[in-house]
Amino acid sequence: MAASIAPECNEIKEKYDTCFLKWYSEKYLRGNTSSNECEELFKKYRTCLNKVLKDKGIESMLEDARKSNKENDAEYLKPT
Amino acid sequence: MKVFSSDCTFDYSWDEVSTANWRKYCPWNDKSTHVVAVDTLSRTVDPETGILRTERLITCNQSVPHWVSSLFGGNPTSHVYEISYVDPVSKKVTMCSSNLTWSNVLNVQETVVYKPSQLKPRTTTEFKQEAQITALCGGWQKIKNKVEEASIERFSQNAKLGREGFEAVLEMSRRVFGEQHEKEKHMQL
Repeated sequence: MAASIAPECNEIKEKYDTCFLKWYSEKYLRGNTSSNECEELFKKYRTCLNKVLKDKGIESMLEDARKSNKENDAEYLKPT
Repeated sequence: MKVFSSDCTFDYSWDEVSTANWRKYCPWNDKSTHVVAVDTLSRTVDPETGILRTERLITCNQSVPHWVSSLFGGNPTSHVYEISYVDPVSKKVTMCSSNLTWSNVLNVQETVVYKPSQLKPRTTTEFKQEAQITALCGGWQKIKNKVEEASIERFSQNAKLGREGFEAVLEMSRRVFGEQHEKEKHMQL
């Protein structure tokens, strides 16, 4: 798995990524889309990551990118 | 604006490709070394459609040609914002990426789609990639063209390496998954 931008988050990121990949291949792709057993790990990983994104000034760049990507949601979240 | 596009077919099922895609930039991929970090920012499943929406931050470290760095500064670290959608019903992955760094001088919009190929939908997966690159810096058209050309050039090099690296990840994923499967079968016996 790829590293995190913040070395101090690598350990929790690795745990989360492993959990997600297992969920994705064994549950999500088999139709069980609603389970969320990786949620707790993701929260911990996000807490670690959030701080770094703010410190590095990336959070504000992300806000701009989100604004200009709104039309993607409209296009790709609609049911097929 | 300049456009780069490419497509190819992977000899792996859509399930395998869409799974391996999450670890495209792992150590098994020794080609895309310019990607140094991949962080997940958010992840949700739409309860009605089952569509998985993921936001990621991709961090790259790549030296740029000298004349480019003299125009835009020499920091080789750049960030990309990626938003992806997995539709498990129609079996389609769509990934939209845009550059966060140097976004006031250059706009790069990339869209990648993975879906089962038309000819052999159960065993092969079609990959389509398109990038639009626009230089925003004011001034001479000549310079803008130069910047766009250099960006397209670099983009297509990275795309080629990315495809080779992803092939390696797919191969390893299949092998490891096969071994895991064997082990589980053994344990059940």
